[in-house]
Amino acid sequence: MKLSKIVDVCHLEKIVFGTDCEISNGYCGDLMSDVMANARTNSIWITIQAHKNSIAVAIIKDIKAIVFTNNVPVSQEMIDKAEEEEIAIFITGKDSFTVSGEIYSLMEDKTAKD
Amino acid sequence: MKNRFSKEKITLVNELIYEIKIKDAMTRQLIFFDKNATFREIQLKLKAKKISGVPILNKMKDIIGIVSIDDVISAFDKNYVDQRIADYMTKKVFTVPQNFSIISAIHELEKHKIGRLPVTESPNSKKIVGIITISDILNRLLIETQTIAEKIEEEEIKKYQLPEDLIKNSLKKVLKFDVKGDDFDNAGQAASTIKKYFKGLGADKDITRRIAIICYEAEMNICLHSLGGTIVVKIDENQNAMICAHDKGPGIPDIDLALTPGYTTASEKIRALGFGAGMGLPNIKNFADEFELKSSLISGTELIAKVKLGVKK
Repeated sequence: MKLSKIVDVCHLEKIVFGTDCEISNGYCGDLMSDVMANARTNSIWITIQAHKNSIAVAIIKDIKAIVFTNNVPVSQEMIDKAEEEEIAIFITGKDSFTVSGEIYSLMEDKTAKD
Repeated sequence: MKNRFSKEKITLVNELIYEIKIKDAMTRQLIFFDKNATFREIQLKLKAKKISGVPILNKMKDIIGIVSIDDVISAFDKNYVDQRIADYMTKKVFTVPQNFSIISAIHELEKHKIGRLPVTESPNSKKIVGIITISDILNRLLIETQTIAEKIEEEEIKKYQLPEDLIKNSLKKVLKFDVKGDDFDNAGQAASTIKKYFKGLGADKDITRRIAIICYEAEMNICLHSLGGTIVVKIDENQNAMICAHDKGPGIPDIDLALTPGYTTASEKIRALGFGAGMGLPNIKNFADEFELKSSLISGTELIAKVKLGVKK
């Protein structure tokens, strides 16, 4: 599924958004080691952990996009790092449960139609 | 979905039944009788060899008839088991030539509702060189599909491998990173750099990712729990990526406990950032092919993890 579709349907606020890549998986988690162990490639990651290390985890795991939930503050330093590494980042006032549910339904629906 | 899956399977088998020759699937150790045999002799043989029919051949090995278990039952029923088979055997025998594909054998078996087909030397010959049953055919198909599966597996493995000379050139190169204690912002740098390095070498994506995860966790461990240390990554002579993480202390008092998933000594502050879940060391162990952890309360902790790169010969 195109990242832009997820962003539009779930009303995510764009912080860093370069290429409109293909998203094939998703993961929700705030523990770095858990994400490290279990997130799949080409994922969108839903988390409240907004710091530079989140970008490092995304790079290592080939996570394409991160959604920061609960309107957590996002530092300029992290934005710069995300831009440099071409990781898309978004922010939303919704909580992780709600956004994950929305993205999940959207992707499942798409898969079912395929 | 299920439907499509089974169709794909059938396509492969379909190809194979046209490709495989009868001579490559048939049984060559032929059990046969001449026309002077009695039904009782044949019945004993069928029982001993656990087969359900035998061809009847003349001295030239040409086929002149066939006796199946049904014929033997009829002989018992009508009381001629001790007589010679010559007058009773089925004389209209269906055969297939050995150079035909097994699809023709399958057609013949289905068409005449029979369990076995004697195989002739050539289309115009009656000389029997073997016998083919549906289980011979299934056996052969299984072997063929197994061989194909192994080939695919081999090709997959090859795809993951690096050329040998590239490995040789990389042997001397050592990547070294200093990791400061308590420096969250820069932690993760070594792992990112190492990932790019192996990606640049052309290592398989999964292998590269595993190496990067190990580096990341080791790096975070040094940053979160130690007074600082180093990460050294190199390719060893056995073509493993070798990740050595060394710190200046304070050391791990109980290594087994530290390796228990969920066990952590991290502070609240660290855990609020999403670290210290007690999964770092277990992650490293899971993603490494070889793993070694030594710790001393005097000299600090040393971790060595190896990931096989797999080298193209």
